[in-house]
Amino acid sequence: MQHTLTITTSNEATVVERLLQVTRYRGYKLAGLELKPLTDRAGMRITLQVQSDKPIALLTSQLVKLYDVQQLELASAAVAALRA
Amino acid sequence: MNGAELVLKVLQQQGVDTIFGYPGGAIMPIYDAIYHSTVKHYLCRHEQGGAFSAIGYARSSGKVGVCLATSGPGATNLITSLADALLDSVPLVAITGQVSQAVMGSDAFQEIDVLGLSLSVTKHSFMVRNVNELASILQQAFTLARSGRPGPVLVDIPKDVQLAPVAEPEWITPPSQRVSTSLANTAAARQLISAASKPMAYIGGGVHMADALTHLQAFLAESVMPSVTTLKGMGSVARDNVHYLGMLGMHGTQAANLAVQQCDLLVCLGARFDDRVTGNLQKFAPDAKVIHLDIDPAEINKVRFADCALLGDMKQILPAITTPTQCDAWLAHCQQLKQQHGWRYDHPGEKIYAPLLLKQLSERMPDNSVVCCDVGQHQMWVAQHMRFNSPRNHLSSGGLGTMGFGLPAAIGAKLARPQDTVLAVSGDGSFMMNVQELGTIKRFRLPVKIVLIDNQRLGMVKQWQQLFFNERYSETDLSDNPDFVALAAAFAIPGHTITRKDEVAGALEAMFTWPGPYLLHVRIDETENVWPLVPPGAANQDMMTETN
Repeated sequence: MQHTLTITTSNEATVVERLLQVTRYRGYKLAGLELKPLTDRAGMRITLQVQSDKPIALLTSQLVKLYDVQQLELASAAVAALRA
Repeated sequence: MNGAELVLKVLQQQGVDTIFGYPGGAIMPIYDAIYHSTVKHYLCRHEQGGAFSAIGYARSSGKVGVCLATSGPGATNLITSLADALLDSVPLVAITGQVSQAVMGSDAFQEIDVLGLSLSVTKHSFMVRNVNELASILQQAFTLARSGRPGPVLVDIPKDVQLAPVAEPEWITPPSQRVSTSLANTAAARQLISAASKPMAYIGGGVHMADALTHLQAFLAESVMPSVTTLKGMGSVARDNVHYLGMLGMHGTQAANLAVQQCDLLVCLGARFDDRVTGNLQKFAPDAKVIHLDIDPAEINKVRFADCALLGDMKQILPAITTPTQCDAWLAHCQQLKQQHGWRYDHPGEKIYAPLLLKQLSERMPDNSVVCCDVGQHQMWVAQHMRFNSPRNHLSSGGLGTMGFGLPAAIGAKLARPQDTVLAVSGDGSFMMNVQELGTIKRFRLPVKIVLIDNQRLGMVKQWQQLFFNERYSETDLSDNPDFVALAAAFAIPGHTITRKDEVAGALEAMFTWPGPYLLHVRIDETENVWPLVPPGAANQDMMTETN
């Protein structure tokens, strides 16, 4: 099953590799990646498309813990997890 | 002031008075600042040893451990320790020197991408690019290491940042991160507990890390249910709690495993359904509903579905779910299991039986002693046969299972708690993994008591070779071990070898009454194995024992 995650992050140099590390390690296949700097503040909007038979919550719960992740939205599921 | 001096200022501001490390080219400015600092630096003999000492310091005291290393090989030597701290949720700040920014990315001498290397073994890794950000990043590192689910944080500081001039910042104490706690599901949890006829508390390391041990005792006393602990949860339940059944899992007690398999409600407190706990996951506690309390949302439903999840501060949640149970028949059944499957120490023969030795050690050691284990058979024997009154008194590499953990962890524990007796219980395989730290014990005259259980084998691997690999003992023979007593003597540490049961009591007495560090070398029979054992793929009720 394919999922699209829209992730708002800080603009740190390690953000992308960390997201990709967690995605790979937790057993999700990368199917697409788009990255845009945010113009209104220092940050990035990263869109990840991932495939897996595993529940997507097992990935989003790990990604949202990352220090540089500010917000994570799961497209079409009306689920948004805001960093505490 | 320069960046290096600011590092020491931040450490002091964070209340750090003890650090562990090893100098080198890219971290020389910080070592130059240490020269005049009141922060006490303990020179270890390998960066991994230094980091494990910082972990031992943190785990035995509840404070943040701090270790230092230079760039390149110094930093890569930290990786195993960072991974250990990540898997066991230990608050650790590792500071590494890095080559100057002018040459970064050029494969300069002792340059390696430690930032990239460390990402997957830390909660977060920082690189300080500008000296004006140094204090703030270090403060964030400490806050992050100790907040929520604790863990390791690495801060990589290029040499030019260490040397750059900087004004002392205005110290602003960052607000401690509040734990977000939801009490929304507590009524549902109480309902599950009061409806259960066979409830069981399954206690992990998260309870003591949440500083909630007194809340746990109250919960167990008022709700009245039997309990089991993980390796990291040992010491959480008061030793006189009659309903405590011991450790569960692969080498857990039979009573704990059988009862968990039979329970109808599992109240998981700060644990994570590790595979060494569950055995065959599909067959684990098959009739149980699950209440899961944790501070880390990612642990909920990760391995086992939770019928009721409670997230946040255990100190708030435990009182809110305390409710009386009606399970007298179940309590009696668990007592029966406990009596039926008690440990036996009437092992025949004159040779030393490690479980009995460790029981004797446990009974002889002063109250509040800290026991630091290595990894392997002796580690499981310690968990089975020694008793602890706090998880801070039992330091064992749980998640990563790192051989070489015990000796340096004991050094850190002794420095954190000089008033308490500290023991390193090791095996002959593990001991050699960080044996260089005997040099640290010698240098600082640390009265660490080392009990080296020697079967001249990599015992746990050999046990599996015997049971599951048709007795093909591939590369597990260590019968060419060094003379351990002579090795200790080379570091001015006295020692003694024992081989017979009747020598144990006297040898323990000699070790404990000797004022300094001491090595007790215990030769045991290579054929002894750890029982019970849940074989791979089996359910926890299908334990192999010595007799089946």
